[in-house]
Amino acid sequence: MSNFMNYVHFPIYSVMVLFLGAFLIVVLGKSKMLRSLIALLASGCSLACMIALIKPVMLNGEVIAYWMGSRALAGGYAIGIAMEVDALSLFFGLLISTAVFVSCVYSIQYMSHDDNIPQYFTLFLMLAGGVMGLVLSGDIFNMFIMVEILTFAAVALTAFRNKVYGALEAAFKYLVVGCMGSTCILAGVIVLYANAHTLNFAQLSSIIPGMMGNTSVKIAFALLFVGFSTKAFLVPFHPLAADAHGAAPASISVLISGVLTKSGIYGIIRLTYFLFQTMNLGTFRFLLVFVGCVSMFLCVTMALAQHDFKRLLAFHSISQIGYVMTAVGLCTALGFSSGIYHAMNHTLFKGLLFLAAGAVLHETGTTNLDELGGLSRKMPHTTVLFLIGAFSISGIPPFNGFASKWLIYQACYQKAVESGNFAYVVVTVICLVTSVLTLASFVKVSQSVFFGRLPEKYENVKEVPWGMRLAMGMFAVLCVVTGLFPDAVGRYLTHPAATAAFNVSNYIDSMLGAGAASEALGPFVSGAQNVVFVQPGVWSPVSWLLIMCIALLAVTLVAVSSRYDRYKAPEGPADAKHSLFFSGEEAVYSQVGGSDLFWGFKYNWRHYFSFMHDLHSGILNDYALWAAVALALAMLFMLIVL
Amino acid sequence: MMTFNYIASFFLIALGFYTIITKFNLIKTVIGLSIADYGVNLLIISIGYVPGGTAPIFTNGELTPLTYFVDPIPQALTLTSIVIGACVTAMSMSLVMKLYDSYGTLDTREIRRLHG
Amino acid sequence: MNVVVTALLDLGYILIFPGFLFCFLCGMLLCGIERKIVAKMQKRVGPPILQPVFDFFKLCGKETIIPAGTSRTVFLAAPVVGLAALVVIQLFIPIFNFTAFSGNADIIVILYLLLIPALAEIYGASSTGSPFAGVGLSREMVTIISCELPLVLVLLAVGKAVGNATGSGVVFSLQTIAAYQAENGCLLFKLSMIPAAIAFLLIIPGETGTHPFDAAEAETEICEGMLAEYSGKPLAVFKLSHAIKMLTMTTLFVALFLGGLGTGILLADGLIDFFFCVVITVCVVALIDASTARLRIEQIFKYYWTVVSGLAAISLVLAWFGL
Repeated sequence: MSNFMNYVHFPIYSVMVLFLGAFLIVVLGKSKMLRSLIALLASGCSLACMIALIKPVMLNGEVIAYWMGSRALAGGYAIGIAMEVDALSLFFGLLISTAVFVSCVYSIQYMSHDDNIPQYFTLFLMLAGGVMGLVLSGDIFNMFIMVEILTFAAVALTAFRNKVYGALEAAFKYLVVGCMGSTCILAGVIVLYANAHTLNFAQLSSIIPGMMGNTSVKIAFALLFVGFSTKAFLVPFHPLAADAHGAAPASISVLISGVLTKSGIYGIIRLTYFLFQTMNLGTFRFLLVFVGCVSMFLCVTMALAQHDFKRLLAFHSISQIGYVMTAVGLCTALGFSSGIYHAMNHTLFKGLLFLAAGAVLHETGTTNLDELGGLSRKMPHTTVLFLIGAFSISGIPPFNGFASKWLIYQACYQKAVESGNFAYVVVTVICLVTSVLTLASFVKVSQSVFFGRLPEKYENVKEVPWGMRLAMGMFAVLCVVTGLFPDAVGRYLTHPAATAAFNVSNYIDSMLGAGAASEALGPFVSGAQNVVFVQPGVWSPVSWLLIMCIALLAVTLVAVSSRYDRYKAPEGPADAKHSLFFSGEEAVYSQVGGSDLFWGFKYNWRHYFSFMHDLHSGILNDYALWAAVALALAMLFMLIVL
Repeated sequence: MMTFNYIASFFLIALGFYTIITKFNLIKTVIGLSIADYGVNLLIISIGYVPGGTAPIFTNGELTPLTYFVDPIPQALTLTSIVIGACVTAMSMSLVMKLYDSYGTLDTREIRRLHG
Repeated sequence: MNVVVTALLDLGYILIFPGFLFCFLCGMLLCGIERKIVAKMQKRVGPPILQPVFDFFKLCGKETIIPAGTSRTVFLAAPVVGLAALVVIQLFIPIFNFTAFSGNADIIVILYLLLIPALAEIYGASSTGSPFAGVGLSREMVTIISCELPLVLVLLAVGKAVGNATGSGVVFSLQTIAAYQAENGCLLFKLSMIPAAIAFLLIIPGETGTHPFDAAEAETEICEGMLAEYSGKPLAVFKLSHAIKMLTMTTLFVALFLGGLGTGILLADGLIDFFFCVVITVCVVALIDASTARLRIEQIFKYYWTVVSGLAAISLVLAWFGL
């Protein structure tokens, strides 16, 4: 204990610095320099702690069991408060701290026009600390506390720009339904405590699977499952995400979509793989995959009907979370690792896209797709960065979205063939179709924001400050790198995390002492020691890129040598030859706006779209009703199936 | 006797959710949240209760093998939960005030600028 | 020494066969043959078969005009990127047993690589801000969505059918599919694969944008849509890409369904492959092109998601039950 730089202390440091930073900003936040420095330092330290843990946890396979104040077991019961970091926790911790750091860099210049910036940074760091605490905690009640902290900070930040259209409303809806979810989590935690008399995660994992026949345990599972689904914004909680993202500042949207939803996913993984260990039940896997597919498809169609940049991105967030849920629900080694790979990629490319949306908002003051257009000439860097994000999310090789989606397709199809269940073939098809609809949606955004005609009122728009571009650049580089080297990502990040998820006994043993797991659970958990990752397809992005570069070089050489780009624009206003072609009529401003695109597709589905539009009424009572119905259905499912 | 507590607590939670779903007034929605919260608090306290147990406060020498006491952990949890509940109420009421300022109504059916 | 030889060989693949030179010649020839057949069916004399080549060089000599208010980089880079990406796809598709780089990508990857040329055209068009291009790209995207579902179903059916036969569950690798067909005969002769093959044949005109699926570049209503503002060399490159796309789609069909007919001799294989491409182009693209009228975009979508997808789904179900 004397050595403070021992890596076992790093998890608590990474949570502590964020909260410490939050309080320091309250005290010292008057100076702009100082508060930026504190925020950057806090998030940077947190990230550094996480990176330093890669070697022992990911590569050496250690599980860090950390007891606060060295209060370990008492009479076989875990009374003290514990943090437990296995590869799965660390994986989520890493992507959270990365997103927080980049978002912090972006915030400094992005928020410069707002007032009450110290409060913003305080809440920002509270939110970050809450999520970090959630994924590193080894104690289910502390998980609940962290859920409350992050919900509060997120609600407050959603309403931060309370003059923005609908911000207050979004925050209130989020607060009410989010608190219903938190209440569910608390009730679930307490019912579990009544059954097992402990709050420690590892100990619960060793006791609860033996008590699954108990009705109250099933009810607790339903409560916790619905509670964490609220945090992940899975269907039917997706309208909250859409409202909250649209209203919150872009840097916060990055955290809500990239970090908060991941904490929900993390919670669900911990529940299903560790605490209740229900993933060996076919019907339960089917529940996860079903929820995932519905989220994926419903939200991508909702996104196609949107005409606000950030609201559209919000629906895509849930759609991508649907991919993650589907892959995780397959419960195969390949499925799980591809699912969390996609979770990581989603954090990166969705972060990039939200920051790009923020950049557009920062310069033009609007995110309405029907009003914007032609910004690529005014904001070239933002355009390139946006395109990288757009290609990533729509799964264009060689960016990261493709790498993980491609693994997900294979995992789904492999599962279908292995289990002989035709339903998984349908799942594969839904995944693939969702991907092309995502592409369509981002073609729409590119056409109506960055390309097309530039409205006259945006003639004086400038490129965003360098700090914001730097933050977007970080995300963009990560998007490309994680897409080009899927094998390295697998080796260092996703495969250890997946192995950890299939090794519950290891998790329990390292907390409660060797042999505790097999004593409590019997030999049935020890079967999953060797996790094998088999993939039927081949894809080597680096060699594709190499060939593509050579081909591009060849074409470019020919093109340049034949004076392909030799063109001199005429001086002054465009004459008839150089203006747009209008069938001989005089040129007028005419932008094919976001709402008008893809008519042929929408027309065929017009009944579906109008039904969906009416369904998402925006009335709080409806959303609360959906939450209650989801809870009732989950309880019914658990009581009947488990 | 404890069965009654459990029934009451789940009844309170259900009543709270029912209020949120059926009442169109924002203040009533907030009240619904609080009721659900009280239900959970009652549940926590009931779970820790041991019939005949004393308060879990002891000084040296008082603790004999024959004394038994109620579970102290749920009580600690309840305190946390009550504090959080108070925060929820405070936060939501402040949002309600702001909402009333900008929308001029407390009816959830009219506060739906974001939809579809 | 070996490294140098391999590098030169790879460069040869990229530049000559089955890369640029092969793509250029065969694509142009295919395009010329298609135009000739259409003309014959309409009782016209038609252009000489080499007309697309003449057109290409003529366009190269014309002035390039970049309309005012265009983002110049995207406008000029889009055709180049599209062409390069298309040629790279061609390198990944095996010609019978000959594989240049097929070991690097499977059919799902090909499905996504095929989006890159289309995207290049969409972005190039959208950089001009022309309303014709806007309508054109909207329709092009809907056509892509339409073709995607049946294409996915076809590929899954093929993967499952080969996987059944080789006993490995599911196969996505094009090399394995080619090797399987070389041993066991073409997939086309399997009962369960016939609907999938028909579906794929119906997808080809959609992907290449000929009648009746050419709503995206309807000359008579939206002035070639996405190409409305293009002229000179960039236009020439796009025209070349269109020709090569026809070659790519037909080669993909040969690789997926007719793989067993190769001889093992590279030159002969190349010729046989090209012969099949011509046959498919004449039968599917030219005949349908000459005998139908343009569908509206929402009809295209409906057609692909019902009729063609239905055919492909039948195949998938049959393959699923091991037929």
